Amino acid sequence: MILPALFFYLFAGVCVASAFMVIAAKNPVHSVLYLILAFVNASGLFVLMGAEFLAMILIVVYVGAVAVLFLFVVMMLDVDFAELRQGVLQYLPVGVLVGVVFLAELLLVAGAWVIAPGMPQAISAPTPSTMTNTEALGRVLYTQYVYYFQAAGLVLLVAMIGAIVLTLRHNPKAKRQNISDQVARTKETAMEVVQVKSGQGI
Amino acid sequence: MNAVPLSSMTQVLPEIVLAIGGMALLMFGAYRDRVDNAVCVLSVLLLAAAGVTVTIIPNGNVFGTSFILDDYARFLKILAYLGSAFAIVMSLNYQTLEKQRTFEYPILILLSTVGMGMLISAGDLIALYLGLELMSLALYVVAASNRDSLQSTEAGLKYFVLGALSSGMLLYGCSLIYGFTGNVSFNGIAKASSQGGLGLIFGLVFLFAGFCFKVSAVPFHMWTPDVYEGAPTPVTAFFAAAPKIAAMAIFARATISAFPGITHQWQQIVVFVSIASMALGAFAAIGQTNIKRLMAYSSIGHMGFALVGLAAGTPEGVQGVLVYMSIYLAMTVGTFAVILSMRRSEGMVEKISDLSGLSRSNPGLAFFLALLLFSLAGIPPLAGFFAKYYVFLGAMKAGLYGLAVIGVLASVVGAYYYLLIVKIMYFDEPAKDFNPVPGELKAVLGVAGLFNLLYFVYPAPLIGAAGIAAKSLF
Amino acid sequence: MTFAELWTGYLWPLIVIVAESLLLLVLLLVSIAYVLLADRKIWAAVQMRRGPNVVGPFGLLQSFADLLKFVLKANKGVFLLAPLVTCTLALGAWAVIPVNAGWMIADINVGVLYIFAISSLMVYGIIMAGWASNSKYAFLSAVRSAAQMVSYEVSIGFVIICVLLCAGSLKLSVIVAAQDTRFGMFGWYWLPLLPMFVVFYVSALAETNRPPFDLVEAESELVAGFMVEYGSSPYMMFMLGEYVAIATMCAMGTILFLGGWLPPFQVAPFTWVPGVIWFVLKALFMFFLFAMAKAVVPRYRYDQLMRLGWKVFLPLSLAMVVIVAAVLQFGGLAPKG
Repeated sequence: MILPALFFYLFAGVCVASAFMVIAAKNPVHSVLYLILAFVNASGLFVLMGAEFLAMILIVVYVGAVAVLFLFVVMMLDVDFAELRQGVLQYLPVGVLVGVVFLAELLLVAGAWVIAPGMPQAISAPTPSTMTNTEALGRVLYTQYVYYFQAAGLVLLVAMIGAIVLTLRHNPKAKRQNISDQVARTKETAMEVVQVKSGQGI
Repeated sequence: MNAVPLSSMTQVLPEIVLAIGGMALLMFGAYRDRVDNAVCVLSVLLLAAAGVTVTIIPNGNVFGTSFILDDYARFLKILAYLGSAFAIVMSLNYQTLEKQRTFEYPILILLSTVGMGMLISAGDLIALYLGLELMSLALYVVAASNRDSLQSTEAGLKYFVLGALSSGMLLYGCSLIYGFTGNVSFNGIAKASSQGGLGLIFGLVFLFAGFCFKVSAVPFHMWTPDVYEGAPTPVTAFFAAAPKIAAMAIFARATISAFPGITHQWQQIVVFVSIASMALGAFAAIGQTNIKRLMAYSSIGHMGFALVGLAAGTPEGVQGVLVYMSIYLAMTVGTFAVILSMRRSEGMVEKISDLSGLSRSNPGLAFFLALLLFSLAGIPPLAGFFAKYYVFLGAMKAGLYGLAVIGVLASVVGAYYYLLIVKIMYFDEPAKDFNPVPGELKAVLGVAGLFNLLYFVYPAPLIGAAGIAAKSLF
Repeated sequence: MTFAELWTGYLWPLIVIVAESLLLLVLLLVSIAYVLLADRKIWAAVQMRRGPNVVGPFGLLQSFADLLKFVLKANKGVFLLAPLVTCTLALGAWAVIPVNAGWMIADINVGVLYIFAISSLMVYGIIMAGWASNSKYAFLSAVRSAAQMVSYEVSIGFVIICVLLCAGSLKLSVIVAAQDTRFGMFGWYWLPLLPMFVVFYVSALAETNRPPFDLVEAESELVAGFMVEYGSSPYMMFMLGEYVAIATMCAMGTILFLGGWLPPFQVAPFTWVPGVIWFVLKALFMFFLFAMAKAVVPRYRYDQLMRLGWKVFLPLSLAMVVIVAAVLQFGGLAPKG
């Protein structure tokens, strides 16, 4: 049991530390890189829990795609974060106050915490040992939760249409390559053999 | 876990029709050279098809209780489809004249309507959230659809940022509710909520914050005037009708079916929200000079009135809400048809002063607008009066006399600014003439106006249907 | 806990894993040295040149001479992190690649996803290098590469899904075993999923920034792209990472489409040869395809690259996922889970 515990503290520690560095780093690009480190460590924690599918998906989706776009944007924007942080000290007291109030409220709520009767069983319901957790996930995702799955798909479709509607501008002057036209050209349509008499030109 | 057989999904058919139809139209629009009214017309036909489907399929639950089709859902879905169809029809002329025609606009409305259907039928918190997001995301986009206009972009961005915030609160509430009851389905929450508990009420408050944002009730109304004013007018007409209906539907369904155990607690919140909305709607509208902003405050007030019915928490109260929303739809759609007709040769105008002397330059338009404004003010025998009558009746029966009295007072104050517009139209010096009103706006205005005028002659079908629908919720 | 328990429980497995990893690394690095040489030789042969032929017999020691030069000729922060990331990630992918039945360091349940995840991380090396170099050529290259690699990852993802549908598992060893049919090499997935094999091959070229998709380093416009500011050991690590990534893609193609360590036919002369030899042969064949593409296809323009990725491969691979799933489901061929 030592080894998993050791790895847990390693991943968890690095994860929290890099999450802190995300907000503390002076350079926004470094922030995003720390964010990536935090993601990777979070996926390490997933592996420790035996949820290897989630771990890999976290890396592929968040680190491999989402964070790349973050990085892309942050690099292009050239935001001076040091300047943005000018007012931090000024707003600090208010921020701390809001944070403390919120924490107190949460503690109040947590004080009233009653774990619902069915919960412990529901949480500890084991993944059937005959299948990998990838398969187990697939089995519930595409049967019991197929409605949510499809609905989430529609939400993403709308997001995609929205992005196109709001940003795509047709430029009538732009010349685009039409590959099927190029391929469809034949010798007859593309070439003309002209007999040029000497000294006359075409 | 077994796969859900396709044959058991009859109840989702309207949503499937709209979603697949919308995607097909997207392909149709993308591969078409010209941009004209075809996609709009087909979208309206699709909405009609969905409306027909929803009336003929049997009741039932699909995917456990995630998707509920009962009389309540049926009633509200037809209203929402009507609202979306009117919005598309009213946009036809505007888009051509303002050169903003994009084929995606009706498709986004279709997909938003799918979200409304899912929202109205939601039987658990996850379905609720997904439906809400689907609906709202399309709304954010159409609000910013006139991307060359600073106002429209600002409206879209403002709506998006505040909407995301409200979604966050709603989700936080959902997670608290799930944490304290161990259930996401409304039935399960209802069972677990009978013991009450502080945590559950915390969750309820956050959930209500999300709902109030979507129906634009005080104190989460701040976005409404700016978004109404900034968004292109047909979009505002859409915002004012269908999404409000869907949001109100889920507000009532979630409240009634998931929290019967803590009725007393949520009643207090709804009563407060209702009073605050009615009061703000009445007083803040008085100083407005822009008619779209005025309609924004008017809609805040109307949501307050509708919530009076919900506060009662009885079948009569919910019946009142349903009747209110139906009549509100007719009034709003009609009024926006007039606002869309306020066009001079130099472009759209939105000032209330632009309406002055309308009775002489265009008596027909003035008559219908006056009619609709009287109805919005709740003056008998127009439909608006009956709408208010039923919600107040529900509140009285539930013993909420104070709320009903405040409601009546608020509607008296509200009547002032509606009547002010009538005065401007009939007694002030005429301003420049408007351009001739396009045919489809005339048709919408005629239908809405006559409904408001003649409703009292034969109110039974609407009242009866709303009664049946309300009963199915309890 | 006694020492014996500690020994059997942790230390011995640790030593085994370290030894296995070292063995794999040494073999891999030596192969990479020769793969690099092969690349230059094939290219030279196509252009009727001789290629490197000075160091050692037939230039066989050329790569080691390069290594020595880089190490001897030996900045900070992200700038140095970038080549390290590239190199480490590329080597890390080999932890799960089965070169023979049971010959791998870790046979994890989600092996395919692991490799996919690693290859999607490879873009960071390039982005970090491009950004940290503080030069506009390098930065342009980083921006290009980010878009290019993310785009082609999408179609690789769908290719993988097609194979997974057929094999019914994410485990690399199971995927190879699923190709062990009575049709021999015609039962490997390259034939039934031929369009996907082609998509995979082209996407793998793009994913590893190989010609004709080497816009990232396009020497005629960007000098050498993200590597322009690098020299000595960091540069070597980039080269190493790049070629290991290519080797990984070859191995991946071998496992997904060419039956991994399986012999072409399960009959006598073929079954005598050990599986690892077959694996290496197939991977080399894949590499030969890579090298030939470099030699014979001119570089794509950037808009053509994007068009190919998003307008051709994405719809094609999406359609194939649907078709494959439908055929498996309605043809009764789906693997029993």
